[in-house]
Amino acid sequence: MEERIQNIKNEAMAQILGAESVAELEELRIKYLGRKGAINELVKEIPNLLPEKKGFMGRLVNEARSIIENTLSDKKVELESKKAKTTWFDPTIPGIKPPIGHLHILTQAKEEIAGIFEKIGFVRVRYPEVEWDWFAFESLNMPKQHPARDEWETFFVDSATNPKYGQMVLTPHTSSGQVREMERSKKPPIRMVNIAKCYRRQSDVSHTPMFHQFEGLVVDAGINIVNLKGTLDYFARQFFGAQRKTRLRPYHFQFTEPSFEVDISCGICNGAAHSTSSGQGCKLCKAGWLELGGAGMVHPTVLKNGGIDPKKYSGFAFGWGVERTYMMKSGLQIGDIRTLYSADLRFLKQF
Amino acid sequence: MDIIVPHSWLKDYLKTTAKPERIAECFSLCGPSVERIQKSGDDTLYTIEVTTNRVDTSSVYGLAREAAAILPRFEIKASLQPVKVQANQPLTKSVDYLNVVVDHELCSRFTTVLIKDVKIGKSPDWMQDRLKKVGSRPINNIVDVSNYLMFEVGQPVHMFDYDKIKDHKMILRESKKGEGITTLDGKSHELPGGDIVIEDGSGNLIDLAGIMGGKNSAVDENTKNVLLFVQTYNSARIRKTSMTLAQRSDAASLFEKGLDPELVETTIRRGIDLLTELCLAKPENQILDLYPTPYKEKEITTTLSFIQSRLGVPINKPMVQDILISLGFKVRWHANNMSVSVPSWRANEVNLQEDILEEVARLYGYFNLPSKIMSGEIPEKPQGQPFDFEMKIKQLLKGWGGVEVYTCSLVSENKVDISGKPSWVLKLRNPLGADTEYLRLSLSPSLVAAKRQNLGQEPFFLFEMSNVYLPTRGQLPEEKMMLGGVFAGFTYQQAKGIVEAVLQELRISAKFTPSDTKGFNPNQRLEISCKNLNLGQFGILEQDRSIYFEFDVEALQKSGFLNPTYKPIPKYPGQIEDITFSFPTNTRLGEVIHSIKNSDNQIANVELVDSFENSHTFRVTYQDPEKTLTNKEVKKIREKIIMKIEKKFTAHVK
Repeated sequence: MEERIQNIKNEAMAQILGAESVAELEELRIKYLGRKGAINELVKEIPNLLPEKKGFMGRLVNEARSIIENTLSDKKVELESKKAKTTWFDPTIPGIKPPIGHLHILTQAKEEIAGIFEKIGFVRVRYPEVEWDWFAFESLNMPKQHPARDEWETFFVDSATNPKYGQMVLTPHTSSGQVREMERSKKPPIRMVNIAKCYRRQSDVSHTPMFHQFEGLVVDAGINIVNLKGTLDYFARQFFGAQRKTRLRPYHFQFTEPSFEVDISCGICNGAAHSTSSGQGCKLCKAGWLELGGAGMVHPTVLKNGGIDPKKYSGFAFGWGVERTYMMKSGLQIGDIRTLYSADLRFLKQF
Repeated sequence: MDIIVPHSWLKDYLKTTAKPERIAECFSLCGPSVERIQKSGDDTLYTIEVTTNRVDTSSVYGLAREAAAILPRFEIKASLQPVKVQANQPLTKSVDYLNVVVDHELCSRFTTVLIKDVKIGKSPDWMQDRLKKVGSRPINNIVDVSNYLMFEVGQPVHMFDYDKIKDHKMILRESKKGEGITTLDGKSHELPGGDIVIEDGSGNLIDLAGIMGGKNSAVDENTKNVLLFVQTYNSARIRKTSMTLAQRSDAASLFEKGLDPELVETTIRRGIDLLTELCLAKPENQILDLYPTPYKEKEITTTLSFIQSRLGVPINKPMVQDILISLGFKVRWHANNMSVSVPSWRANEVNLQEDILEEVARLYGYFNLPSKIMSGEIPEKPQGQPFDFEMKIKQLLKGWGGVEVYTCSLVSENKVDISGKPSWVLKLRNPLGADTEYLRLSLSPSLVAAKRQNLGQEPFFLFEMSNVYLPTRGQLPEEKMMLGGVFAGFTYQQAKGIVEAVLQELRISAKFTPSDTKGFNPNQRLEISCKNLNLGQFGILEQDRSIYFEFDVEALQKSGFLNPTYKPIPKYPGQIEDITFSFPTNTRLGEVIHSIKNSDNQIANVELVDSFENSHTFRVTYQDPEKTLTNKEVKKIREKIIMKIEKKFTAHVK
């Protein structure tokens, strides 16, 4: 029997290798591997063998089967590719794509910003978008009737005033998370990045009533202005690119002392303040710099309101518009910020 | 607040050869921000942003004083020229031309002088030119002098027609609620009470002090004698009245920030000079000046080491001292402790050692500081934050062709909820318009509107993840993070597949229960839940027949099981076969599949693979973890299935 197995195998191999078409191969497959094929005929004989021979013969038959199978499939590939070389094939035919979705540019911006700060140990948080006056203003050293409040065009919610926390407002900035974060973490170190929806009563090409801000807050022993600069420069390099520069200028916020305005060199004119082609002033910036947003050293009153001893700890904070900051990335030039909140697929599919 | 300052006017008080461009740059780096500079004839105009704390710089003179401190830091020579005055009338506590009673809680310094025989006419060209440059329309010499003084020194003044003041008597007092006054712009006000007002001898109100004068005492073309009126008012009172009445004025926006009472004397003397010169008038020989508590320099103590540690550089004593002195502060050292006296024009806003630090730091120049990320311990991330989970969901939907939108959470009344406006929803007291008046309770109307905007581009599906604001009595609203999605050009099954895929990816074994609710077509909505937690809903909305889903993201996070556990791969192959049934029309296939699956615990999987009219083919996988099922065993299970389905759904196997 051993010899017969060997012969069937050799015969099959020879015929397979000599085959000239796929159809011929199929005939050979039926002849050797089919239900009534040569191999199955052999298998049927196995139960009649002596018990000590059964295992050995079984293995030999299986081995022959798998060699024939492999040879068949190799030969099939060979014949098909030979045929393919001569049949017309158009490699430029368009692919059938899976559906392609789009994450909104603001989601992409928020993730990128959060990621940059999380890499240097900032904890991402989110605080109420509908907030009490206490957290939005009063705890930030802006008592009722303070003229500084005019800068925040605040929406008021038609709701009862809370005896402890005052009126209900739509938070006009992420700074309302500062005292909440101090209360949550109870004790420095604090490194917070708070990215959230904010609302202000304004609508024009550079303002939408709903917008997003990201707020950084760092509180620890010995935090100073040099640390603030270090953090902002790190962010600017990571987010805008190594060639972009930042600078701090004096400013005023009630909840920081000292306070700064942070500028970044203009991505359009690269700080030259004029368009190189026309020689006219740069359309985007004033004097080569763009205002990114505010920053400052946390006011001791704010630390106190958050239950932190300003004699032991100091901190810095900054809060910038996500839309505004992202639109300052070089290359992305959306003239009207309201476009971001349009549901037009022709816009959404670009990102 | 932005103010415009002509370079030529600035040069009256600032001696320097620096060019406007350079001055603007230095200002922006160390002091007030120069928004732009522009040419005007042979003059240059600065537009300067004055922050609310630095009302002392909202004038030509104030900016010259600031420039004289800043420019030398850039090695530019600059010096401040004092306001020159000739009028030298003595200040007295009473005068015979006016009888006054003043509440000093409302007005810390009350100063006035009678100017007689004014000749009203046009002011000279140079004054008109300057006023036009700063954006003030010239009117006549009296009004122009008032405005000119305000722009030059930053102190508002008022001119009364002296002869219109009954009995030449003034009582400066708090208003009573409901009192009325007509201001010189013709508006009548009913006062809220607690406002600073002046009444004359007849008991009529003649001035809404610090905001606008009364019409009944205003200067007109027949005025002969004027009272030049220069005061320091209680800033909080001015602010409150001006905001409550919505009566804003340049004067109010200066007074509400707290002015320097020491500025009053310079202003009134400069005013006398200008009126004498331009109106050929005769000032009285005495100036009434009621100033019971003159400014006493306040002292702030701090240390060199505080300045150094907050600044982050080892700045030395002489530099700290030079900077502070240049800004008008006085410094006394006791070893490394310092006492800093604050000049009167900064007294309102310099209170803390942090304020002293700011003065030193800004003149040292923030641009001169090095930059270094803080070292120190890193805080631990709180558990259970939703950000990664939310992003995972967004990524999934994007991967299946979803397009994310951000729509405004402030909506019109008809877009508040899935089925119109409910009884309780938060509303803004001061909306921008009716289309953004309410805080939405559902993403659905906004998403349907977004879908409509894109009709013609099917197929597409839009999704949004955003908070909705559910009112809560006496508390802030519950901000519930919702995920909503709307389909266009999708079949119901395709859309449902996406919803099912999300749940599968999040490893949530969710239950879909048909249940009707307002806003959805009857019989076309499923409630989605897991254990007893409601996760969301899916179905066909009444609105546009839109296919819509929404999930409560926090509930998904609670039910999701992101860390998979390993189930051993079956050792024995399963057997797969298709069974086709025909059903009556009103059959729910979801229930059929559920029933098939529950017929026997050796059924590993049931899928709908084909449908034709009322016939549906199900692919059933039979599997036993311990052995290969024999044909006999499979047959037994199959019979069980057929019997159950035929009976329960009045179906027929094919």
